[in-house]
Amino acid sequence: MTVLDDDRLASLFARAGAAFEVPASGADDILARAAGTGRSAGDDGGGAVAGEGGGIGNEGAPLEPMPIRDGRVRRLVDTVGRHRVISAAACIIVALVVAGTVGALVRSPSGPTLTSSLPRTGLVAPVSGATTTVPQGSAVAGGTSRAAAPLPSNGTQHAASTPAVTIPTTPTSPSLPSGAVGQPSKIEQTGSLGLSVGRGDLGRTMTRLTSLAGAFGGFVASSQTQSGAGTGGAPYGSITLQVPVNDFSTVLKQAQALGKTSDLTTKATDVTGQYVDLQSRITALEDSRQQYLTILAKATTVGDVLAVQEQLDGIQSQIEQLQGQLNLLNSQTSYSTLTVTVSEGTPPPRPGPVPESGVVRAWHDSVGGFVDGVEGVIRLAGPVLFALLCLGVLVVGGRALWRRYQRHNL
Amino acid sequence: MVEQQLAEWLEDGYVASFRTACLILGNRADAEEAVQDAYLRAWRFRDSLTAVPSIRPWLYRVVVNSCYSKLRREIPHRDRRAGDEPLAQVPGRGADPEASAEQAEVAGTVLTALQRLPLSLRVPVVLRYYADLSERDIALAIGRRQGTVKSRLHEARRRLAADPTLCALAGAGDAPSTEETGP
Repeated sequence: MTVLDDDRLASLFARAGAAFEVPASGADDILARAAGTGRSAGDDGGGAVAGEGGGIGNEGAPLEPMPIRDGRVRRLVDTVGRHRVISAAACIIVALVVAGTVGALVRSPSGPTLTSSLPRTGLVAPVSGATTTVPQGSAVAGGTSRAAAPLPSNGTQHAASTPAVTIPTTPTSPSLPSGAVGQPSKIEQTGSLGLSVGRGDLGRTMTRLTSLAGAFGGFVASSQTQSGAGTGGAPYGSITLQVPVNDFSTVLKQAQALGKTSDLTTKATDVTGQYVDLQSRITALEDSRQQYLTILAKATTVGDVLAVQEQLDGIQSQIEQLQGQLNLLNSQTSYSTLTVTVSEGTPPPRPGPVPESGVVRAWHDSVGGFVDGVEGVIRLAGPVLFALLCLGVLVVGGRALWRRYQRHNL
Repeated sequence: MVEQQLAEWLEDGYVASFRTACLILGNRADAEEAVQDAYLRAWRFRDSLTAVPSIRPWLYRVVVNSCYSKLRREIPHRDRRAGDEPLAQVPGRGADPEASAEQAEVAGTVLTALQRLPLSLRVPVVLRYYADLSERDIALAIGRRQGTVKSRLHEARRRLAADPTLCALAGAGDAPSTEETGP
């Protein structure tokens, strides 16, 4: 067998190569084409390839005369044209990122879902009661509520899923109208706040709440802390603050700043009618007492004196009883009660709501289901986006490795 | 000045570049497109020539990479076009029918043997025995180390030597009757 040495191989290759007719146009045509377009291309491509020829030959170049375009735009268009799959994936990822960002922006600043229950009770007061409830899990940016609004004529209003409450009104009474009896409105203000704090912050938060009450001239009515060690649950504490009614909103706002608000309920009850009624009854009883005292002064027999004295004792007892109720109302309208439940992690469960009618419950279930669905979609967007990002990285990395492998074997 | 030099180099090296691409790709139309593509790219990046130590390996590198891109990207995804016949079936040229037939036979045999080689071996062997590049220039052209080129050439020679048709042709062609020679 003939030895296939270098000379024979070179000879065979030369003969094989010579069999192929060179195109008539040759290099002239290509150079003319390149000279027509190369000036603009070279202006932006110069220096892009060093002696290693990194960019040359790695990508296909258009064979038709290239239009004079901006270099970056042309490269971008060329890249997109060559990597259609990657470009499509990048577009999807960008779209998801934009959608997620928009979703997050739409979701985060939204105000709490308010449910205002304004039962019309009382005698002549324009506002008898107002309750603002922020359901669990909603973040409250500030102490916001519409609870101090005048009572609508129908007495009850449900404002569910109210987005982005930005009106910095508070459930306090400064803007309440005076009572129809010429008496300043007496508003009993209560609130319940659920706070979620970080691990180990329970004690510090309770201390700060105590200090907060003292700073505004209030006091701690009761306080309770549970470590959760016995029950196996998360530690939580409950503290009831009595603060001046005018400072209620400020205290509430500052208390909210101590943790993440998981639940907020405020209630304003107008007790002006009850207050005026007590005052009237006391005045009437005092008049009666005065008359009995006059009669007592005119009594001549022991029997008359004892009988009048007995009536006086009864009236005095009633006066004292009513005066006690009046003092209590004064206290309740001078100091607001704010109950703060602090938990590490999730707050303790609250008592269930008052049973609703079937239609209302169905409606609330429907709204809740819708909100849950939207939340689920948004919640899923994160993992899906992450998975797509990982997939994109894998695709790009795998493609790069594959091309490197192919070039290595070239 | 650079443009003028490059234009001269490209014109002088067109025949060799085209036939090198033919031997690598095994298809005349693809080879023509690949060389055209490579020349356009070379012209586009002509400013980088100042950093190139040697023009010839650089030019072959552009051509080889263009061939490689074509093989990888375009050829597997398209049907064979009309007139895109394999080079092995291209009839020989020249006025003498006997010489043309012999030339076609040689070309067909060599191409068939080359197509059996993987790209990693085919490219160095074509650059070595057709383009007559040194091992160092081949290493520059394909971006590999010189030792790698050496081992690949050795392996390519071993495989080509195992081809009985090619060996028979080499034995019969000790006195080559080519009307054209390599570059």
